Amino acid sequence: MKEKLFKAEGLVLRTRVLGEADRLITLLTREEGKFEAVARGARRVKSKLAAGVDLFTHGRYTFHRGKTWPIITGQDTIERFNWFRENPDLYAYGLYFSELTDRLISGEEPCPEIFDHLLEAWSLFGEDVDRFLLSRSFELKLAHAAGYSPHLVSCINCGEHHVTAFSPRQGGMLCSRCRTADAINIDRGTLALIRRLVEAPLSQVGLLRPLSNQKKELATVSAGFLTYYLDLGEIKSRLFLKDS
Amino acid sequence: MVYPGALKKLVDMFCRFPGVGPKTAQRLAFFLLGCPREEVVAIARAMVEAKDRLSFCPVCGSLAEDECPYCSDAGRDHHLLCIVQEPRDVLILERSGQYKGLYHVLHGALSPLDGIGPEELKLEQLVNRIRDTGIEEVIIATNPNVEGDATAGYLAGLLKPLAVMVSRIAFGLPVGGDIEYADDLTLSRALEGRREM
Ligand SMILES: [Zn+2]
Ligand SMILES: [Zn+2]
Repeated sequence: MKEKLFKAEGLVLRTRVLGEADRLITLLTREEGKFEAVARGARRVKSKLAAGVDLFTHGRYTFHRGKTWPIITGQDTIERFNWFRENPDLYAYGLYFSELTDRLISGEEPCPEIFDHLLEAWSLFGEDVDRFLLSRSFELKLAHAAGYSPHLVSCINCGEHHVTAFSPRQGGMLCSRCRTADAINIDRGTLALIRRLVEAPLSQVGLLRPLSNQKKELATVSAGFLTYYLDLGEIKSRLFLKDS
Repeated sequence: MVYPGALKKLVDMFCRFPGVGPKTAQRLAFFLLGCPREEVVAIARAMVEAKDRLSFCPVCGSLAEDECPYCSDAGRDHHLLCIVQEPRDVLILERSGQYKGLYHVLHGALSPLDGIGPEELKLEQLVNRIRDTGIEEVIIATNPNVEGDATAGYLAGLLKPLAVMVSRIAFGLPVGGDIEYADDLTLSRALEGRREM
C-alpha cells in the first residue's frame, strides 16, 4: 500500500472549480508523474493555498491520499511565472503547452524530462524568444518523450536513407519510391532543423535561423505529426495562438 | 439503506446542489418533511418563480426581473462601467454599497482550455456598448487569478482605441488576515494599491 502522505515538486497545468470553494488542480510532478489533486478552499479570498495552486506555478506540494483525489495539505512556491498573467498572448501559448502536456502524458509514470522541458519553456517565455520555434520544438520533444518519435532518418516504409517527403498519415519520412499521395516535400534543411528541434535544449532554439519555407514545412510536419497521434481539433487552446 | 421512493428522489435532488453531499441532502429532506405543508409549497414556489422571472439583462448581463435594476436606474453614474466575470459578482459589489456606476457581466473569463475566447465572451458587444454610450471610465474587476488577470490584460488592450479611462480593481490583503501569511504577489499588489492616510 502506498504512503498516506507524500511530497512532490510540481507545475500547475490546469485548475478547475470543484464544489463551492475548492479547486481541482492538474499537476505535473517530477516524482509522481501527472495527476489531479484537490486544493480545499482555494477559491476563498483568504485562502493561503490559492496563489500557490494557480496556473503557471512551480512549487513544492505535500499531499494526503484522499478517497478520490489526493488533497493538497501544504505548498511552497518556488517560482511564479507572472508573464503569463500579464500578457494575453503568452497566456494562450502557456495554456497550449499545458494542454499538450496534459494530453500527451498519460500520468501514471514520472516523466522528468518533460517536467524539465516545460519548466524551461515557462522560463523562456519571459525572454524575447521565438515562440514559433519554441512551440514546434516543445511539440516534437513532447511527442518524443511520449514515445511517438517522428521517424526522420530513413524511409519509414523501406529503410532507404535518402528521404524526400513526410507522410502525416504514416507519421514519418518516405523515399521517392515509397512516396504516398498525402506526403509533403521536405527539403534537407528542414529535416536538419527538425532534428535540431528534437535534440537541442529549448534554450538553444532561439539560435536557429530557419528560412521562411523551412518554417512553413516545419509547421506542416509538426501539425501533421501531432494529428497522427492525437486529434489536434481537440486541442482547444491551439485556436487562440497568434503567429503560430 | 432502504428509502421510501419519494424520500430518495428528494435526497437525490438535493445532492445536485453545489457543496451538498448525501448527509446534508438527507438533513435538508427531513427538514422539509418537518415543515407545515404551506411552507413547503412556498419554498417550491419561490424556486420556480425565481427561475421563471429572472433573466439576464440583454445590455449588461446582470440578473434582472422585467427591468434591469442597474441599467434602468437614472440615479446611477452612466459614465462609469464595471466589468465583472459572474452575475454573482454584481451582487457582491452592490453589497459593498461603494459603487454607483453600471455593470457589464462577461459570464466567464478567457479560458482557452475550455474553448472560451473573446467571441464566447461577446467582447465585441462590450466594445460597441462602450463606444456607443457615454461611458468614460471602465473598472475591470475580474478575479485576481491568472485567468482573470489575463482577461483584464486582454480587455485593456481591446479598450485602448476607445480612449476611455481603464483601471483594474486593486487587490490587497484580506481583512482579518495576518501579513505574515500573505503570499508575495498579494503583498506586492497591496503595496501598489496603497492609499494615503
Ligand atoms: Zn522507401
Ligand atoms: Zn442591465
